[in-house]
Amino acid sequence: MMNQLSQNSYTQPLTMDKQLVYTDEDLIERFQKGDEQAYIELVNRYRDRLMNFVYRFVNDYEQSEDIAQETLIKLYTHKHYYKKIAKFSTWIYTIAANLAKSELRKKKTRKVTNLSQMSTQEKEYELPADQPDTDQAIESEFIEKRIQAAIQKLPLHFKTVTILRDIQELSYEEISKIVDVPLGTVKSRINRARLQLQKELKDLR
Amino acid sequence: MDRYKFEDSISAYIDNKLNLTDRQEFEDYIDENSDAKSLLDEIQNNMRLIKEIPKVKTSSTFMTELLHRVEFEKDRLSTKVVHSPSNTVFGFTPLYASIMSVLIVSFITVGYTLWYDNMDNSGQPPNFNGSIAETPNLDSPVIDIDRNQTFVTSAIDSADTTSNKRTKINLDGKVNFVKKQR
Repeated sequence: MMNQLSQNSYTQPLTMDKQLVYTDEDLIERFQKGDEQAYIELVNRYRDRLMNFVYRFVNDYEQSEDIAQETLIKLYTHKHYYKKIAKFSTWIYTIAANLAKSELRKKKTRKVTNLSQMSTQEKEYELPADQPDTDQAIESEFIEKRIQAAIQKLPLHFKTVTILRDIQELSYEEISKIVDVPLGTVKSRINRARLQLQKELKDLR
Repeated sequence: MDRYKFEDSISAYIDNKLNLTDRQEFEDYIDENSDAKSLLDEIQNNMRLIKEIPKVKTSSTFMTELLHRVEFEKDRLSTKVVHSPSNTVFGFTPLYASIMSVLIVSFITVGYTLWYDNMDNSGQPPNFNGSIAETPNLDSPVIDIDRNQTFVTSAIDSADTTSNKRTKINLDGKVNFVKKQR
């Protein structure tokens, strides 16, 4: 593959004309027919989106990068599993969500806790030091950690829909297909998740 | 609108999914209830904060690592395709093929043994010599005593209901009642 997907090929994006013309569905179709440059283009379009989604889910940067890579490898090895009846984004998010969920389940079953990890996790719940909140960056970081912690406290089915809706900004219909539950259930879960987040983040202004 | 309906409709209101009547009803409710208004404001504020959090991006080595992993997977898949047919017997792995062979041989042996036991000494299966069309004469059954020795030697006729009558046992003097002893 290195012949076709040389180390430099991914750094050279498709021309602007092609970027405008090709939809995700066009690209996966081209990839299914053997065009590996289309795979690189899909990776470039989705790697950061998937990374952000998975990170909000598992709350660990290295694991998130691993899962994002795993998702993109599945895209490579299971390219023929995609059928044009669904949007490509729905399909790839479904893969990522399933991998992230199984990683979370694995985490839960791990009985032994690494002490060094524990100290990092505790840090995330720490309040900032006594210094005044003049620095915007510190405040933003604090807010981000609070939000991330609040999201982690949500039950798994609430967490998934919240990340997909409020962070990834997907439509209710797409979320319904990704999590494979009826539209009404998705709406209800999003509403309840937002109410729960409001309780957790009540003091944030 | 009551509190439950209000809470159920918050997201639909924020995402502009309520119809005109419901939207008007919702807005009337928050105008009348200040706590409902503040709850709505807090949720909208949280949603704004969530949208503002910076997007997490992949590291600079992500692409290189991904390409190496893809390369590895590709090699693995091609190796699997080349080696899998030579390591199978009729589609079974050597272990399963051996187990399957042993099971088949055992099945045939047991089956033949059971079949052989049902044959008479001549090695032929028992024949039925009578005719199904013949019906026995039930009015005057004839029993060949010489052929049916078991009927003759049997001491008790199980069909005789008269022998089942209870015989009265004489227990006089053999049984002492408690009251009599006192």
